[in-house]
Amino acid sequence: MDFKNFSLNISQTKVNRFVDELSAGKFMATVCKKCGKNYYPPLADCSNCMQSDMEWKQISGEGTLVTFTKIHVPPEHFAVRQPLMPFSSIQFEPCPIGLLEVEGGLKIMGWIPKGDVKKIKVGMKMKASPFTLPDGKVTIILEPI
Amino acid sequence: MRKVAVVGIGHGKFGVRSDASLRELAFEAVKACLDDAGIPLKEVDSMVTGIAGDEFALGLQPSAQVHDYIGFHPKPNFRVEGACATGSIALRTGIMNVASGLADVVLVVGVEKMTEVPTSIATEIMGKAGDSIWEYPFGTTFPGYYALIANAHMAEYGTTEEQLAMVSVKNHYYGSLNPYAHMQKKITLEKALTSFTVAYPLKLYDCSLITDGAAAVIIASEERAKVISKKPVWIVGAGLATDTLRLGDRKSLTSILAAREAAKTAYKMAGVGPSDIDVATVHDCFTIAEIVAYEDLGFCEKGEGGKLIAAKETYVGGRIPVNVDGGLKSKGHPIGATGVSMAIEITKQLRGEAGERQVKNPEIGLAHNVGGTGQVVAVHIFRRE
Ligand SMILES: CC(C)(COP(=O)(O)OP(=O)(O)OC[C@H]1O[C@@H](n2cnc3c(N)ncnc32)[C@H](O)[C@@H]1OP(=O)(O)O)[C@@H](O)C(=O)NCCC(=O)NCCS
Ligand SMILES: [Zn+2]
Repeated sequence: MDFKNFSLNISQTKVNRFVDELSAGKFMATVCKKCGKNYYPPLADCSNCMQSDMEWKQISGEGTLVTFTKIHVPPEHFAVRQPLMPFSSIQFEPCPIGLLEVEGGLKIMGWIPKGDVKKIKVGMKMKASPFTLPDGKVTIILEPI
Repeated sequence: MRKVAVVGIGHGKFGVRSDASLRELAFEAVKACLDDAGIPLKEVDSMVTGIAGDEFALGLQPSAQVHDYIGFHPKPNFRVEGACATGSIALRTGIMNVASGLADVVLVVGVEKMTEVPTSIATEIMGKAGDSIWEYPFGTTFPGYYALIANAHMAEYGTTEEQLAMVSVKNHYYGSLNPYAHMQKKITLEKALTSFTVAYPLKLYDCSLITDGAAAVIIASEERAKVISKKPVWIVGAGLATDTLRLGDRKSLTSILAAREAAKTAYKMAGVGPSDIDVATVHDCFTIAEIVAYEDLGFCEKGEGGKLIAAKETYVGGRIPVNVDGGLKSKGHPIGATGVSMAIEITKQLRGEAGERQVKNPEIGLAHNVGGTGQVVAVHIFRRE
């Protein structure tokens, strides 16, 4: 799958597999075979030991919310009148986003659909899941557990 | 390393400058700077230009426009960039030129023409100064990144929206006294608190402005500084440090660790500590950023930044006056110009030329300039003779 379906920006990277797995419902990190360092977002190269022998590893999306916000003044790309705004076809409200800390201290960014900022709390237990939008693009959502 | 001093300062009018282009804005600041230094351009050996975005300039190599327009050929020009810290990185590059002996007199120009593009595009360009591949797909914007920091800080230390608004009230108050400021308008706490939300919990009055403007300084070696200026202001500390591109990879979301690192280097080099600083300009791109800066620079303990502003300790007359030029909040934040503008304010304060905003007899000043979401931070310490 074209990486742009996730990144909106660039088409090509060595970790294109990330979007294929995401669209198949899996969260993948990469692990350096030499030093064992885990990378999410998955990276093709290990800056810890300057080598590129990495393997893929599925990670659980369960974790703790470390912070969040709701962006009311969006970038051009996400202006509601444009179809690229995730959930724009579902809800005409900007959608909050959050940063979830999962296993090994890795942090996953995701949308919190229909989240009410007055009810979202740092420290909440949440689960990150892959999400396919009606237009075929893939993204990530965070939901309370 | 050779000693380096600021010997000339020139500030253009910040604002929505629909009357001028990038190069014309730069010219205003350069002209004012040469007048202040009292030297012709031909006495300058080299030039550094800070422009953050080709996207705002709508083309590659925007610094060549500036270099050409002031007629600096055939002498060298270096363009540097580091998002919102661009201006201070330009200053540091200038310092490196002088300190190394490659040049004796260097012109440092910072300029940005941000309103050439609409707000939504500017928001997109800046949003991509986070990680454009891994963060931007979640609609992140600059107010958004700092809102993530704000919510983390509020959850951990109980910092309040009122305390954030107090930073805005202070900076608007001083901006109202600064003729070069974008928004010369005092505001009330209520006005700040009831303004619309840009990125929860940050509201309109928590955000810096989208501004056009330029600022320039001339720096020189000790030998030349003593000839050029009666009141040279010495740059006695310079720190530059970096952190991860993505917020999610940081060790802390409530502190900008690169700022702590840069400050440590600058304090050590200057042989001073936080309590020696008489006046400071800090990177208040959002009100939360000023509160975090108080903590990172050691003006208060970790988590006490909200209390420091609530006690009005960062006003003139307080323990450590901060952003008494209006800060990015009210003076405006033309990205590439901001760091240079900070150096100008500190120079003015140390020369005793800040007028109504003058801090009483300061000897040591500090400028703190953050790029990206904290990916790069420059701290400079200045001292008068
Ligand atoms: C908050 C923000 C989105 C508002 O921009 P905008 O919606 O285009 O605002 P407009 O230019 O339409 O201005 C609407 C009004 O609000 C005022 N205004 C705009 N930005 C303002 C701000 N940051 N603070 C206070 N007032 C502001 C304008 O002067 C105008 O007032 P008027 O109606 O009395 O003339 C914009 O200022 C912003 O993005 N700021 C952050 C910039 C940034 O991220 N910089 C990089 C940081 S590192
Ligand atoms: Zn490794």
